Amino acid sequence: MIELRQVTKVVQSGGRPLTILHPLDLTVPPAQFLAITGPSGSGKSTLLGLVAGLDAPSGGHILIHGRDITGLGEDELARLRRQTIGFVFQFFHLIPSLTALENVCVPMEIAGRADAVSRGRDLLAEVGLTDRGHHYPSQLSGGEQQRVAIARALSNDPPVLLADEPTGNLDLANGQHVMELLLEIRRTRGATLMLATHDAALADRADARLRLRGGRVDAAGH
Amino acid sequence: MPACAFAAAAWTPPATDAMFIIRMAWREMRWGWRRLLFFFLCLAIGVASMVTLRSVVQGVRVTLRAESRTLLGADLALSTSRDWADADRQAIERLVARHPVRSRSVQIETTTMVRPADSAKAVSRLVEVVGVDRAYPLYGSPVMQSGRPYAYSLVEGRGILVRPELLTQLGVAVGDDLVIGNARFTVRGVVDAEPGRRAGGFSFGTRVFVDARDLEAAGLLGFGSRVTRRLLLALPESEAQRLAQDLRHALRDGFVSVRTSRSTEDQIGRDLERAEDYVSLAGLIVVILGGVGVWSVVRVFVQQKLRSVAVLKCVGASSRQILAVYMAQVALMGLTGSAVGIVVAAVAVAGLRPMVADVTGLDAALGLTASAAAQGASIGLLVALLFALVPLLDIRHVRPSLLLRASEPSRPRRDAVWYASALGIGVLLVAVAAWQAGSWRVGAILSGGFAAVSLVLAGAGLLLVRAMRPLERSRRLAVRYAARRVGRPGSQVRPVLLAVGIGVFLVLGVRLLQDDLLRAAAVTLRPGSPDMFLIDVQPDQVDGVRALLRKAVTGPAPVLIPVLRARITAIHGRETRLDSYEDVRGRGRGLGREYVVTYRATLAANERLTAGEFWPAAAAGAQVSIEQGLADRERLRPGDRIRFDILGRAIEATVASIRTVDWADARAGGFMFVFRPGVLDSAPRTFIAPVTGPADPRARARFQRDVAAGFANVSVVDIREILASVARVVRSVTLAVTVVGSLVLASGILILVGSISMTRFQRMYETAILKTVGATTGQIAAMILVEYGLVGLAAGAVGSAGALGLSWAVARHVFDLPWTPALGVAAAAVAATGLVVAAVGVAASLDVLRRRPLATLRAE
Repeated sequence: MIELRQVTKVVQSGGRPLTILHPLDLTVPPAQFLAITGPSGSGKSTLLGLVAGLDAPSGGHILIHGRDITGLGEDELARLRRQTIGFVFQFFHLIPSLTALENVCVPMEIAGRADAVSRGRDLLAEVGLTDRGHHYPSQLSGGEQQRVAIARALSNDPPVLLADEPTGNLDLANGQHVMELLLEIRRTRGATLMLATHDAALADRADARLRLRGGRVDAAGH
Repeated sequence: MPACAFAAAAWTPPATDAMFIIRMAWREMRWGWRRLLFFFLCLAIGVASMVTLRSVVQGVRVTLRAESRTLLGADLALSTSRDWADADRQAIERLVARHPVRSRSVQIETTTMVRPADSAKAVSRLVEVVGVDRAYPLYGSPVMQSGRPYAYSLVEGRGILVRPELLTQLGVAVGDDLVIGNARFTVRGVVDAEPGRRAGGFSFGTRVFVDARDLEAAGLLGFGSRVTRRLLLALPESEAQRLAQDLRHALRDGFVSVRTSRSTEDQIGRDLERAEDYVSLAGLIVVILGGVGVWSVVRVFVQQKLRSVAVLKCVGASSRQILAVYMAQVALMGLTGSAVGIVVAAVAVAGLRPMVADVTGLDAALGLTASAAAQGASIGLLVALLFALVPLLDIRHVRPSLLLRASEPSRPRRDAVWYASALGIGVLLVAVAAWQAGSWRVGAILSGGFAAVSLVLAGAGLLLVRAMRPLERSRRLAVRYAARRVGRPGSQVRPVLLAVGIGVFLVLGVRLLQDDLLRAAAVTLRPGSPDMFLIDVQPDQVDGVRALLRKAVTGPAPVLIPVLRARITAIHGRETRLDSYEDVRGRGRGLGREYVVTYRATLAANERLTAGEFWPAAAAGAQVSIEQGLADRERLRPGDRIRFDILGRAIEATVASIRTVDWADARAGGFMFVFRPGVLDSAPRTFIAPVTGPADPRARARFQRDVAAGFANVSVVDIREILASVARVVRSVTLAVTVVGSLVLASGILILVGSISMTRFQRMYETAILKTVGATTGQIAAMILVEYGLVGLAAGAVGSAGALGLSWAVARHVFDLPWTPALGVAAAAVAATGLVVAAVGVAASLDVLRRRPLATLRAE
């Protein structure tokens, strides 16, 4: 379960404080698919970043499986992500100097898993990239890169998947392919999925919806 | 659309173009100057060291030029190590009479022992005695400690002037009597500074001044003693030149050397020009190292700028315009960097002044010279532009379509323009190096050396990548990642390896050369080997000296070696032919000097025969065995014939054998030429005795005193003191070399820091991703540590290997020394490089390691 209690984010912009996330309360039960919608700059990415511990909130508390992560150090957060969270970015963010297979293996290698390579191959097969493992990110199309990123996010079997507009940079066909893959994975693994998207049709398929506007909750519902 | 329409659309008026370029360059600088800070620092330190070194040398040269007449003590000086031959004397008088000589002075110099007349003081010292006449000095004046001016009356009639240290050494004061030879002298004053004597110069002992007539009467100038007689003349400079020419011609077969203040100045000038060229080259090396830094900084800068470049192209800027924007930026930063370098140099030159005065004994008028500053600035700018151009050329290949895909751009291509530019830059660099070294040959050698080292380092980079491949499967995460990162596209291995490798090569090379130099100059004493030499023992004193040695010195029976002084006047070899003394002096590379030779029937313990026989059973006439190094240099072989002049007697000897001599083992002395007994047995000769003197300084002093008291003409050369004196000279040289080396080291480290801190921009992204997927700071730091550690080790290994090669070449071909690889130093250098590179790598990435990932990922 993911809980946010009065979570805010304020940044300094041009010497003045700018609130990009107003106090927010949110509870995401296990295995729920939550769609976060809203226009650009409404705070979707910030919210996901805070949940993943990629950034620290300015106020409030974030609990993941009952554990408050707001006071954790960088390394504890890293360990938390390693075990609990898979993150998929809009811009893929693969390591350019590593091959597709190596990119998938990275989290497992960090976690010290001995079967990293064989499992990496399985994961690549699962996202339909069996024979692209030795390619560098620059040699892959956007859709392929995103599938590699998803495989990477899944590698440690995280109970929580966070996806920040994963189809935002893909064409319709590729976007659909990636989306089906994500939903399929959630179904088969029973993971919690928080997904930021502009796509209303996609949001309709979620268990719950959260609409943000200007850093505040605009609408929430099931 | 027709092609011409494109051309028309692309054309903009030059003024608009220039405005665009300047405006864009300014905006870019405003945003990115921090990223180019190291670029700027690399140039500044390079220019600073170059300008500093050149200014110092120029300052010293100007001062020395001004003092050259005082250095020689005359406008023209004649000197000989023998008594003036009648024919020479007549020729000199005849020629001198034809020129308007204003004044003349005669000087005699010899090395001998001095002791207090008070026999209770059991000390004695080896000194250089200078006998002067009423006319001394023609130029300059000795500075007396008393503050009163020097006058001939101070030495006339058994007076002696001494240096302050001699008073302390002998425990005497002004007014006391000293004994030299069989004469007593009264100390009448203390000389603080002698005109024309440089501190740091080498001499056998401290110098004392007496009346030349008293020196003649002291019974020291007899046969076999080493005496230099000088005739000093003061006359107008142009006359001095002509007289010198005439004298050289008239005395061409005599053993007289002729020097003018101009030739002294020329000699010093040549030495200094060489020194100036050397330090300028060292400075240039630093600038080129800075250039390597510029190259690696700009390379990474361009990688970061790809998207901006694509955007500019999208909105209609041409490749040429964008290139101009960045070149304008480089030029501006190059100029500012050079300016800062010149300011730093001005401060450094002022700071170096006391050190230079200490080393050269000159209060040189040091300051930043305009020519050095101008050269520094122009070379700084040139190097900045040249080294930045190659990476900047990649801008041309950036496609605007880059913006449409989120993927990495394809790698830059090497096309004809790139190769042409690289070639042009190479040629320009050779030209700059040649300009700095003052010779095309040296410039080409230097550039070639640089290219060779770079090639080796590039090869080492490839090998390193290959060698690391197995490590990609290592069980350790950090090792696995480091290995991958080294071998992958976009890796910083090559620039770091190049910069650090060249840095290590130069720094360690300078250090090892310094060690070679020290070894060449200072023959260290082996335990039990002789540390004193008795010289000038006359044949009738041999028994007496032997008896004294038996009593005073423990150890093996004393050996007295007969010696004679000889000059080579001709060589008739199969490969070397020098028909007259003039030839020997002119073409014989130092062969014209006077040699001390001996004769004996058997090889000494420190000699080994490499060719011929010692001695052949049946052979007639004079025979000589020569030292290996000399034989190699002069290409002499057994059977060649050498004509010697031994005290006026011509002896033609056949080379019977070649020997190696272990110079460090001086028990039997070391001789270039050893004659077969027979021919020289009856010749007038003196003896020397190598002695292992008492270790206790007081016993040592007593022994010297006993020798001086018993045998007035016999001198004791204390090797320990000479070694100390040599070490002092070497220290001065070492200091200069070390300063240059430190500058190279400093810039090497700076470039290292620069290239690594540039890679942190790339690292930032990777670190953010690694953190996102769960890597801890410790794990990432370990990856960086291992990666840079490996690169450092490789750079250290290649650089050290190069430096060892350099040291070998210099030891073997320049100093003619046996070479032992300084493996300890090299290993330490490799380890230190690995550690420093790893430490700098981690230190430069500290803020990257601390940063929260989201901001970084968003920015990408």
